[in-house]
Amino acid sequence: MTKLLQWLFGVSLLVAGWALVSFDLLDLKLPQPYREVAWPMPLYLLVSFGCYSLATVGYRVATFNDCEEAAKELQEQIKEAREDLRKRGLKM
Amino acid sequence: MHTATRVDQAVGMSLVVFSLLLFTYYSVWVIVLPFVESDHVLHIYFLPREYSVILPGIAAVILLLCIGAFTAVIMWKHRKPKKVD
Repeated sequence: MTKLLQWLFGVSLLVAGWALVSFDLLDLKLPQPYREVAWPMPLYLLVSFGCYSLATVGYRVATFNDCEEAAKELQEQIKEAREDLRKRGLKM
Repeated sequence: MHTATRVDQAVGMSLVVFSLLLFTYYSVWVIVLPFVESDHVLHIYFLPREYSVILPGIAAVILLLCIGAFTAVIMWKHRKPKKVD
């Protein structure tokens, strides 16, 4: 079985479990608070993932160290490349 | 000095704090509140439950609009004038 099929199988199990609890497909008559927590779960997971991504981006922005020499070197290389391309006729 | 600039650190940390606050508020709203009696004082700090679905929906629409507008502006700037025959 390929990885894709494994993933699809797992995801459809989760979706089936969620639908079962949210829409009471088997008439299990679960307590109301549990149903109220279950049905927004896909959206909640999406929002949590968004928050996690935002926090990761923010953390890496805060901890990424400046590299002065590498920046200067890069600017030099950009200048050289521009000169080189201008000589070969590419308009910038 | 090899650490990130003060502005970078401030922006980064405020992003982290903002996303933590958002996650906490949303988690309490979706997961904790259904188990709390409806006359508890905690409910005053939270909007009605329908908004826990509507507000992320609106945020997603706004995000898509911003991405679309950004793409449109970039493509407009890079349009090539048509050749005149």
